[in-house]
Amino acid sequence: MLKVTLRGLMAHKVRLIATAISVLLGVAFMSGTQVLTSSVSASFDKVFSDVYASIDVVVRSTNKIETPFGSQRTRISESVIPTVSGVAGVEAAEGQVVGQIKVLGKDNKPLVATQGPPNFGLNWLTSPSLNGWTVIDGTAPTGATDIVLDAKTAKDGDFAIGDTVNVSVTKGVQSFSLVGIAKFGKLETWGGAQSALFSTSTIQALVGEPGMYDWISIAGRNGESQTQLQEAVATAIPSGTEAITGKEFTAESQDAFQKIIGIFSTFLLVFALIALFVGSFIIYNTFSIIVAQRTKELALLRALGASRSQILRSIVLEALFVGLGASIIGVGFGVLLAIGLNKLMQSIGFSGPDTPIVIPPVAIAVSIMVGTIITLVSAVFPAKRAATVPPIAAMRDVAVDRTGASKRRVGMGIVLLALGAFMLWYGLNGKSDSALQIIGGGAFFVFIALTVIGPVIATPFASVLGWPLQKSSRITGRLARENAMRNPRRTSTTASALMIGIGLVGFIAVTAQSIKVSTVDAINQSVTGQYVVTTDSFGSTALPESMANDLNAVPGVQTAAGISGTFANIKGSSKVLLAVDPPAINQVIKFTDVQGSFADLGIGQIAASEKLAKDKNLAIGDPISAQFLQGGPTTLELTSIYKTEFPMQGPGWIISTDEFNSVVPPSQQTYSAIYIKLKDTSSAGVTAALPGLQAVTDTVPGAKLQNLTEYKKAQTDQVNQFLQIVYVLLALALVIAIVGVVNTLLLSVYERTRELGLLRAVGMSRRQVRSTIRLESVIISLMGTLIGLVIGIVFGWALVTALADQGITSFAIPWTQLVIIVIIAILAGVGAALYPARRAARLDVLQAISSE
Amino acid sequence: MTTTTTPSPAATTTAAHTENVSKVYGAGDTLVTALDNVSVSFERSKFTAIMGPSGSGKSTLMHCVAGLDTINSGRIFIGDVDLSGLNDKQLTRLRRDTIGFVFQAFNLVPTLTALENITLPMDLAGRAPDQEWLDTIISTVGLGDRLSHRPSELSGGQQQRVAAARALASQPAIIFADEPTGNLDSRSGSEILDFMRAAVDKFSQTIVMVTHDPLAASYADRVVFLADGKVVDDMQSPTTDSVIDRMKSFGA
Repeated sequence: MLKVTLRGLMAHKVRLIATAISVLLGVAFMSGTQVLTSSVSASFDKVFSDVYASIDVVVRSTNKIETPFGSQRTRISESVIPTVSGVAGVEAAEGQVVGQIKVLGKDNKPLVATQGPPNFGLNWLTSPSLNGWTVIDGTAPTGATDIVLDAKTAKDGDFAIGDTVNVSVTKGVQSFSLVGIAKFGKLETWGGAQSALFSTSTIQALVGEPGMYDWISIAGRNGESQTQLQEAVATAIPSGTEAITGKEFTAESQDAFQKIIGIFSTFLLVFALIALFVGSFIIYNTFSIIVAQRTKELALLRALGASRSQILRSIVLEALFVGLGASIIGVGFGVLLAIGLNKLMQSIGFSGPDTPIVIPPVAIAVSIMVGTIITLVSAVFPAKRAATVPPIAAMRDVAVDRTGASKRRVGMGIVLLALGAFMLWYGLNGKSDSALQIIGGGAFFVFIALTVIGPVIATPFASVLGWPLQKSSRITGRLARENAMRNPRRTSTTASALMIGIGLVGFIAVTAQSIKVSTVDAINQSVTGQYVVTTDSFGSTALPESMANDLNAVPGVQTAAGISGTFANIKGSSKVLLAVDPPAINQVIKFTDVQGSFADLGIGQIAASEKLAKDKNLAIGDPISAQFLQGGPTTLELTSIYKTEFPMQGPGWIISTDEFNSVVPPSQQTYSAIYIKLKDTSSAGVTAALPGLQAVTDTVPGAKLQNLTEYKKAQTDQVNQFLQIVYVLLALALVIAIVGVVNTLLLSVYERTRELGLLRAVGMSRRQVRSTIRLESVIISLMGTLIGLVIGIVFGWALVTALADQGITSFAIPWTQLVIIVIIAILAGVGAALYPARRAARLDVLQAISSE
Repeated sequence: MTTTTTPSPAATTTAAHTENVSKVYGAGDTLVTALDNVSVSFERSKFTAIMGPSGSGKSTLMHCVAGLDTINSGRIFIGDVDLSGLNDKQLTRLRRDTIGFVFQAFNLVPTLTALENITLPMDLAGRAPDQEWLDTIISTVGLGDRLSHRPSELSGGQQQRVAAARALASQPAIIFADEPTGNLDSRSGSEILDFMRAAVDKFSQTIVMVTHDPLAASYADRVVFLADGKVVDDMQSPTTDSVIDRMKSFGA
């Protein structure tokens, strides 16, 4: 039977191309993203081990706050340095200061974009065993106005020794004199980051605090292990500090980065799996059609004595060959994809230096396995059907598709649909930790259910969709409609592949539109100011608090009030917490008192949103334990429960700016946005205030002045950006679905060779043949698209309803987008038919009518 | 029709004719001469049968005259139209408007009803069928109650009658039938042959039929015998016996 299988493969290789393509694309995407993320992560692992290579032990504060970007720690005092220097085995101990600063180019704009590599300000270490930097031109920084840049930054900014270099920090723009250009080891940069080096006291003043370090780095004498040294240091240091080995310190940084890469990798993996899921429909369809077309051949084999299991095995074996082959080629393409993307990322500066491609064996093996297994599973049902072909079928005419509205099919579909709907409902409304997986599973079952019911609804659907075609295109429309209806299972499986992709597109579009409308509504209802100053930066490089004063001084301004944000451990867990100046903020953003007084929020007090208070069962006067970066644990008193429509980050904790300034270091005392209310709010007044506001904004690099319309647009643009990324990723699934349409049409054309020959013989023109195939393709595409959009809208509605208390208050359908999707679907249908239609039209009439 | 041709003396009396038509397949050692300098005319309003042993070129001749196949040399005329000057589009239109076909099997589009199959060439041309004529054909062919059925719901004989009705419906200049009874039992076969005979007698239709069945040939007005790609005999008013006798001489 192996020989028969191999012969079968060769004979049907053209028909298996679509199967191979759909597996190949999915596996390529899956393995490609894995290779890419592994490479990036390996490259950053190397970066961290390089930059911390000289460190044997690190001493730092034990007080930390976890953030999604790793943990932040309280700084450690310089007084610890003499203590650890005295420990036996310590060769050198020096404090390290690391902060964010922006080096400005000669045009006074930041040299690196916000989305680009990180930008650090560091202190210059003096001990040769700890300092990895080497000055290649000029001298090390010693004076208060000295700056040293890494070689790449100096090159990018076209700076030479003696030039003035401006940097932007909390205190505003400061000027330094370039005294040196340095390399880190042999590299031009500190692990790809933009670095500026200063004397210790200078950088402490810029981004830290005098006499305080982020950590203390220790180099040991030769002959002692890191662990021995760490143990010795640990016994000597004061409470509130800890000693860890350099290896552990490196591993922590690597892990924090891995986590971020991991989220990114999972996100991409989801789309790879969607593509493979869509691909499984194509595989199923191809094998079904091939089995149907080979009915006579299979029956002959059965008549000659092949057993059912031999037939089953031969089809499954065929699937195995195709799946394995396509998966292996797919992995090859995946690696090429990763290399290409890596080059692209490097060229836009979004990667470590010279990232080598790392091919993770496990991920590759999993990709190949997933591709192969999906092919096998998708081919099992057609194979089973093949095995049930009775020997007598060899003597009969080729069997016709008998799938129709069988009660079992409808029943099973309804059960699956109910299961999917229940999982969706439970996932959206329940408080389960794995809600996302449950929702995903629910969506999966809904798609499967619709696929099962598909053949039942395909005929009426095609009939309805084809009706206008028949009216307008006469006989070609009539034939296209009949052709789409004649094989309901084939039509519905082909359409289903498209339905999934379009369903997800519709879902994302509806959800995004709802978020946009809700955001704009919320801003309209809550923001009473006319201008907003925003920035893409955070922490020490965001908007200095002094900027609010400068804006307040602009003629025509009634109030300029800022919002700050920080991470803090509140009631034991890390949360985003906002800080505002209550009397001033109420002039620009509406906060309504539910209980207590928001306007009186002051030192030692905290406010909670109405929802937060309800969820956590809080009452006015409750003590709220809090831990900030600065100072020990404190207890704040809940003095206000407020309500606002304003779309805020975080769960709803708010403190006053005064309290904020007492718990974060001065270098972090910045605003993330400043809202401005004018005295004269007429359009003339708004225009008149602009030059003054712009002048102040221009003094802060990275700050952006927006009027309310621009501000709302910027907020919705963020959603649009995300939307575009998701669309691009879903495009793969759609391409695979279109490959499926092409494939089905090709196989149908092949199957209808005689019929087409007959039509051509009795006078159908080539143009009419093409038109018939095209219209059939459009019917199939429209069917998948319309069902997909309905599902997408329903899913979107379910999600928006479930997220109503998260601030998504409006359900909105982006009609224009949906109409565009339908038009694209029609065009895709026409496109998918191009090649099959040409094949059909080119058929040699005489051969076609005399073919078997 | 956009083609011009030199009017031949026979143009007014023949529905189709060939002049020195040759057709070869392959090349070199594998060269097969399917038609060898064939000149033959098919008169209007006559029922002509083409006979010959397997490989004699009878089907090839019909395919070439019907514009389904190309020739190497010579000329073919349908009426006074020279087929050699026509491109695919013109040939398609010629088949649609002036030729009717009845094949041995697979004559009908399975997704269309019997009636829709009958009117197919006119639908393809985008023209309305002559209702009176249609009713006449349908009543002659005797399919009145099965018109809304799909081909799969019709017997083999009924399917061939639908095919014959389709060939007649557009009132073509000539009908080509390729072994129309080849797949039928003798009763269904004779029904089709009666119908074709009636079409010639009652409606002055021109029919050219390829067959290897002497009984079928006996329904024709004339039999053209082919052997090795050449016309070897021409028999008027054939009977089953006379055809059998003639065929015997081929050793077939």
